[in-house]
Amino acid sequence: MNCKKVSRLLSIYQDRELTSALERQVEFHLRDCHACRSEWDGLQELVGSLKCLPPPASDPYFPTKVMAGLQDNRAAKFRLLPAIAYALIFLTMFLSGFFLQLSYNNTMGAEKPKAATFTAVLLENQDLGLLAVHDNTLALFER
Amino acid sequence: MDQQTLTDDEIVTAVLAGRRQDFEILVRRYSGKIIHFITRMTQDRDEAQSIAQEVFLKIFQNLPYYRKENNFSAFIFKIAKNMTLNWLNREKRTILFSRLLGREFNKAPFRQEPPRVSPQDQKERESEITRNLLLLAEEQRLALILKVYLEFSYKQIREITGWSIPKIETLISRAKSRLKKNILLQERSHEVVYTARKK
Ligand SMILES: [Zn+2]
Repeated sequence: MNCKKVSRLLSIYQDRELTSALERQVEFHLRDCHACRSEWDGLQELVGSLKCLPPPASDPYFPTKVMAGLQDNRAAKFRLLPAIAYALIFLTMFLSGFFLQLSYNNTMGAEKPKAATFTAVLLENQDLGLLAVHDNTLALFER
Repeated sequence: MDQQTLTDDEIVTAVLAGRRQDFEILVRRYSGKIIHFITRMTQDRDEAQSIAQEVFLKIFQNLPYYRKENNFSAFIFKIAKNMTLNWLNREKRTILFSRLLGREFNKAPFRQEPPRVSPQDQKERESEITRNLLLLAEEQRLALILKVYLEFSYKQIREITGWSIPKIETLISRAKSRLKKNILLQERSHEVVYTARKK
């Protein structure tokens, strides 16, 4: 077996996935070939380094949490809650802006009512993404 | 009957027959491996916990589709793999921008583990490996993690991923060469700096 072929098989050899016949050929080659031997040492060193990452500490309550999640049949309904909450926030912001504009126009009397303007607001929650918010409502926050 | 001696398939049968509580035996049996897998893929310990919870809920919902052929492990890892890749796709931007810039490494996973080398060296080494794992192409990382950390055989990886054995061989081999280049080079350069400092 030549170096090129051995080099191609080294990773599979390391994973102990070669047939025993091929395994023996690789071992035979490694005994004599310096270049392949050092490539092999490098691979072993690498996997040693990778293994130094310890498995994460286990949470003893994890199984209980999973089972609690299963028991909770209301979970599915709760998933709707954020959507409803965001809809309410949207409605409130929209209406408050609308009324602000009305009262503003009333106090200014003669002035022609401006066309309602909206600004897109990016929510952190990516489920809903964008909300159109009445500019007058935004002005409230800017104060 | 002793819980330890029940096979996965026997437990699945019991759960499907209405003994929902027996699902906990499966959770106890596999949660460590599943969380380890997700942690390595995402490199985010806290997220891994919550993704793992969702994975087990999904496994439970999908139990009726499991064909009992003594390959429950492949069945659940397939689900874990899909959900983790979905999460990674969603978080890709965040991960690329904040992780690779090194901003999130302070709250990096594994800091509670007892250090084997001096704490500083060990922490640096771990975050270096973590960073290099994240730099691998996703398929390479997946194949390597299933092999090196979960110690699955190529055949099992084929069941989980649906890839051919030659593809798995190539992905793992390339991942190793890439990491070898990066990690070992970095470690050597650190050693040089360290010994130079000592002198
Ligand atoms: Zn050679």
